[in-house]
Amino acid sequence: MSRDVTIQVNGTLVKAKEGDTVLQHLNKSGKEVPQVCYHPSLGAVKTCDTCIVEVNGELVRACDTPVEKGAKVDTNQQDVKDAQGIAMDRILHNHELYCTVCDYNNGSCEIHNTVKDMKIEHQTTPFEPKPAEKDNSHPYYRYDPDQCILCGRCVEACQDVQVTETLSIDWESPNPRVIWDNDVAINESSCVSCGHCSTVCPCNAMMEKSMEGRAGYMTGMDQKTLRPMIELTKNVETGYGSILAISDMEASMRDAKIEKTKTVCTYCGVGCSFDVWTQGREILKVEPQAEAPANGISTCVKGKFGWDYVNSDERLKKPLIREGDRFREAEWDEAYKLIAEKLTGIKESHGSDAMSFISSSKTTNEESYLMQKLGRSVFGTNNIDNCSRYCQTPATMGLFRTVGHGGDSGSITDIQQAELVLVIGSNTAESHPVLATRVKSAQKLHGQKLIVSDLRRHEMADRSDVFIQPKQGSDLVWLSAVTKYIVDNGLHDDSFLNDRVNGLQEYVDSLDKFTMAYAAEKTSISEDELKKVAHMIAEADTVCSLWAMGVTQHSGGSDTSTAISNLMLITGNYGKPGAGTYPLRGHNNVQGASDFGSMPNKYPGYEDVTDDDVRKRYEEAWGTPLSSEIGLNNHQMVDEIHKGNLKAMYLKGEDMGIVDSNINYVHEAFEKLDFFVVQDIFLSKTAEFADVVLPASPSLEKEGTFTNTERRIQRLYQVMDPLADSKPDWKIITELANELGAGWNYEHPSEVMHEAAGLAPLFAGVHYDRLEGYNSQQWPVEADGTDTPLLFEKEFPFPDKKARLYPVDWTEPLEYDAQYDLHVNNGRLLEHFHEGNMTYKAEGITSKTPSTFLEVSPELAEERGLEDGTLVRLTSPYGSAKVQCIVTDRVKGNELYLPMNDNGEGAINQLTSSQADKDTDTPAYKEVSAKMEILKRTGESPLPKKIHHRYGNPQPQIGVNVEAKWKRKDYVFPGDIVRKGAKTNG
Amino acid sequence: MAKPIRDIEPIPISKEQERENAINEILDKLADNQEAVHSTLDLIASLQKSGILHILTGLFSEGDKVLDVIVQEAAKEENTNAIRNLLLLGGTLGTINVKELEPLLLKINHGVARVAEDPDPDEKTGYVDLVKKLKDPQINRSLTVLFRFLEGMGEKTEQEERN
Repeated sequence: MSRDVTIQVNGTLVKAKEGDTVLQHLNKSGKEVPQVCYHPSLGAVKTCDTCIVEVNGELVRACDTPVEKGAKVDTNQQDVKDAQGIAMDRILHNHELYCTVCDYNNGSCEIHNTVKDMKIEHQTTPFEPKPAEKDNSHPYYRYDPDQCILCGRCVEACQDVQVTETLSIDWESPNPRVIWDNDVAINESSCVSCGHCSTVCPCNAMMEKSMEGRAGYMTGMDQKTLRPMIELTKNVETGYGSILAISDMEASMRDAKIEKTKTVCTYCGVGCSFDVWTQGREILKVEPQAEAPANGISTCVKGKFGWDYVNSDERLKKPLIREGDRFREAEWDEAYKLIAEKLTGIKESHGSDAMSFISSSKTTNEESYLMQKLGRSVFGTNNIDNCSRYCQTPATMGLFRTVGHGGDSGSITDIQQAELVLVIGSNTAESHPVLATRVKSAQKLHGQKLIVSDLRRHEMADRSDVFIQPKQGSDLVWLSAVTKYIVDNGLHDDSFLNDRVNGLQEYVDSLDKFTMAYAAEKTSISEDELKKVAHMIAEADTVCSLWAMGVTQHSGGSDTSTAISNLMLITGNYGKPGAGTYPLRGHNNVQGASDFGSMPNKYPGYEDVTDDDVRKRYEEAWGTPLSSEIGLNNHQMVDEIHKGNLKAMYLKGEDMGIVDSNINYVHEAFEKLDFFVVQDIFLSKTAEFADVVLPASPSLEKEGTFTNTERRIQRLYQVMDPLADSKPDWKIITELANELGAGWNYEHPSEVMHEAAGLAPLFAGVHYDRLEGYNSQQWPVEADGTDTPLLFEKEFPFPDKKARLYPVDWTEPLEYDAQYDLHVNNGRLLEHFHEGNMTYKAEGITSKTPSTFLEVSPELAEERGLEDGTLVRLTSPYGSAKVQCIVTDRVKGNELYLPMNDNGEGAINQLTSSQADKDTDTPAYKEVSAKMEILKRTGESPLPKKIHHRYGNPQPQIGVNVEAKWKRKDYVFPGDIVRKGAKTNG
Repeated sequence: MAKPIRDIEPIPISKEQERENAINEILDKLADNQEAVHSTLDLIASLQKSGILHILTGLFSEGDKVLDVIVQEAAKEENTNAIRNLLLLGGTLGTINVKELEPLLLKINHGVARVAEDPDPDEKTGYVDLVKKLKDPQINRSLTVLFRFLEGMGEKTEQEERN
């Protein structure tokens, strides 16, 4: 714990926190000191020397000097000012001030603001261009060496925050500048386009291309006019004061044309929030904010740059009604009337349970709430589900069995501070990129240990301290064996188990068969390795377990999730900071879709539909009778359509015809429906089967809330108006309900949230006022607004407040006939999302990753004569897919990897079966085997290798390596010039 | 049996319909902003009358070219100097302390007023008169003020220069 000490600042005694740097203290106490390279989210970079102050008689960098008891700090004396002046002069030597015609002149330019604050009128060393061209090669950002002040913020962010380790500064060069990999063009490097560098750049050196020529009033002028203009500005310069005043004025004027709106990302479940800068419908840039609770300054390529789909020509603009072999555009009135008439007719002739409703993890909490209310209250059925059925329901099941809340135990900061992170069946660096950066960085800088269990050598595996590769579907075996070994050797947490957990003996008995020998045989991991893992887990003070689809999408997905939670209970890794279970939610609102009741057995807040008291509460609030029968989940819905029992479906935001398993079977079901309504932003594969298609508005065009993987509820604000005649889902559902006579009067999503919060105790204190801007709440939320960043600190939500060890057994994965000799692992890619409806619309992303591809091992390539670009057909008992190969050692032996990002011939779910998790019906997507035929032996590689990051050449180092700068012959510390008369060489 | 389809038949919107919708939208806006519309029209009418509208039209329709010409022109040395002088002058004006200047200005005003009474006096001031006049408290005060002014003018100002 840091304590307060007394120091002197400019002669006054003040309290300061031990452990802070002098700069941090000065910033907190409002003393203004220049600090160009310092960024609160990056810490001290130590390159710019502008924060020099005097401490105990020495001129030092305030950012690099810890607060010590009795220290005397002077920020005012002339020597300090002179040293800072020299530092700033060196910066201006590297950066031309043409603020008024600079796209970065938006009030936040550190150089502009520092020149102004320091009242600098002239520079001693004139600006000098660097002998390197502007690098425009990357589709989304460019680097201008002439404007680069070599502060190294971008390098720090790339090396130590994002940890892709692409950027460095070549301090050895006569003219240092930022370089990519070993000095290649940006677009040809290992850069993953996460955008960190352009986000943290203090000036216009590293800038989003979408800003260029658009941000200012005069920045869009022809290059031939711009250059003389810059010269003119410089020539009339009477001192920077007047020039900066004009540019300040211009910067304020920009507020009139640039809108900055906070939103929450619509891709994965990490829940990044950021400001979107727009002019009309045009997106200037995505600007992450340090105060964003889940991500701070971080983004991945999709959140930073993947927004073109919003303005895509393919967006649906009007309701569509099926007529013969084509859709006819119609007005909303006609569409609503038709839907109301058809659905009412089906309900009257076949009963309520002939209807079904599917909600989406892409839509908001409020929209999930309204969808289940529509199904339950207006149509009287519990046949309502959402796509978490395809991914995370088994994890939720495993947690309900053992600890009682179906969500991450803590926050991303807990994962960051854990002593050990255990990643099972999760390609975190690609599926949850920003969350993965916290693990990569903690491991790189703070000694966090990382164990990865996966079939495939992905980035996390590559970085891990221990990487185990169990046979597919056998995670439960090694988890149980490790747990048994821990108990057998007395390494378990006795007092935690005594005080807070039930069922120890029964559980330990159930582990009998999971001996080390048995595990080694079934998983093919050696006993030694298993023991090592057991010791690491048992001996770490805090362990976070992260898992994803590699665990859940199996026949025993719920059981394996349970086994993970059991292991965490046995080792006491619950209810304390830096510990717990973290099923990483895959979509922006997959957590919220279930939280707000789009489930066949649960009301919002996970209360049972079979519970009479709960049901009565909803019946009274909604004023309609409600069904007490558990409804169908979406897997069962497909079966019931085939059986002829389910006649109508209303589905929103879900391309079920691509993302469900065994899609041929699903398509046949769609064809059998009497009436099918699909609400989407595109004419998706699923929508092609619809009778009526309703044009919805995506996240940027509406308000609402999303709940991320940390159970964190965050508001999104409307960035732009709905396109054409499209409408937000909440509005469509409300208007349809009213067409059916429901009499709902929601004018704003807040009214929906407040109704839900009034009914579901889990969300009692959730309120839009408490969620303003970047504020957020992590459920459970008490009525007074107190939220719960860390679960189970005092109790588990069971009647006796104790957790439960829950015995589980191994379900062996689906066996295939010998002819299906290749296992087809499948999952995500960093740069595309799911079937790709959204990300393939981003030209820049698609230029670097144009399509999906099949990863084959070097061994298999050798054996079958495969090479990059070979076109193959994979055939499983359920269907076939056509795709081109990439040979890579990320996979081994007969193991293949097919990213799920295709909705045509390469779509993985043409191969998957209807086999599912025995407890939740989540499809066993990962249990697929196929045989391979070669269709065309040679072809162009499906990845443009020259410009694709997976072929880059990262250059890991810690931070910007400022020591190398200090060693340069031409570097003299400004303090030494002022005090010791050292000569300046710069 | 609902087979998958992708063809979309757009709503036939006739040209007249589209035009009518657009006109209605505009009429609504006009009606909502009556006053602003009237004032704007008055302004445009005067701009038209004075010919300024023509000039502006030319300026904006050929914006890029015009800007280029302006910048090229402004970049000429003498013009750059002019702009620079303007900025300098502006800056210097800002540094004049009017509060301090006021008494001096009042005094000058009085002097001017006195001169105005008889701008071309016949009487001549001789050597002796001059010495005598030094005893006159009004003249003595004037001279003291003048000397102080000259002293101030002689001080170094290099460190305050903006150029």
